[in-house]
Amino acid sequence: MDNFALILIEAVSAILCFVLLRFMIKPYQATGEGRYLGLPVGFAFLGVSYIFMGLALYYESLIFFDDLKWFQLFTQAYALAFLAATYYFSKKPPERTRLWWDITYAGLFFAAVISYLVVFEPPMFGLPSYKIVDEYFRLFNIVLLAYISIHTLRSHVSQPDPKTIWIPLSYLLLGFSQYSFLIWSLDSSFSAYMGAHLLRLSGLLIFLFVVYQAFHSKRGRSPKEGISDEEAST
Amino acid sequence: MRKLPRRDKLKIYGDLLYFIYSEAKAEKLVLTRVQLKTNVPFDRLKTYIADLKELDLVLDEPSLRLTDKGKQYLKEYQAVLDFMKRMGLTY
Repeated sequence: MDNFALILIEAVSAILCFVLLRFMIKPYQATGEGRYLGLPVGFAFLGVSYIFMGLALYYESLIFFDDLKWFQLFTQAYALAFLAATYYFSKKPPERTRLWWDITYAGLFFAAVISYLVVFEPPMFGLPSYKIVDEYFRLFNIVLLAYISIHTLRSHVSQPDPKTIWIPLSYLLLGFSQYSFLIWSLDSSFSAYMGAHLLRLSGLLIFLFVVYQAFHSKRGRSPKEGISDEEAST
Repeated sequence: MRKLPRRDKLKIYGDLLYFIYSEAKAEKLVLTRVQLKTNVPFDRLKTYIADLKELDLVLDEPSLRLTDKGKQYLKEYQAVLDFMKRMGLTY
């Protein structure tokens, strides 16, 4: 697969994330609860990480190629940490955990800024090789995605409904994509690299499908859950 | 006895609007019935209904019913709740 195709996949993934971001912010806007803020922030970071990867592939011959790849690594890990924190706090009673989610989100932002400063600003510290760090970050991402998948799957099992199965599936696809990247990083398998990109795109497309079903499809919602457009506009 | 989860103001408003909407065909919707169905103390119910009227979401003449703005709000609110359920988020 040549670079153009890879850059295109990164660009499409980033666009999908920013389209999803528009809808991921709605739970926070509707409820005003800070614990749901991790959802849009997570998708924004995820989109930014794909932009960094796309830029790294585009400017492969330039000197800051490595910096962009490091940026991508950090941003993606923080994105998944924000998402995992959102799911963790969503099942806790808000009146008792309000302070904790404020501290967690502030801590994550603070850690993000500090890690960028440590890696990219002077004095420069001797960093381990990108390949080794990449493998550890992939493992970290897999753990976070496994946690989110289990959380969403449990929520589906507790109230079985065909429409709630899609999200655990999409998080699982994102997790398998990270696993494929890990395999590729270990044995340079081309099929693992291609599979990782395709799994990630499939996961993001499922998110888009869910968003469409929730906000734009009339068939997606049962009459008990909402009122029709005609009734709302009369 | 099962303990009911605590509702915040937004959830109570949502429940009230949904109940008023679902009773749109009733000839006269009295506050006592709303109170029984939504499980809100009467004194607070009157305050909530006054808030909803002030926000132009409900009308109480001749009977309690949703305005167009109220229907639009309820539609969007329920779409977000449905989305959160699909996303596996608890609210």
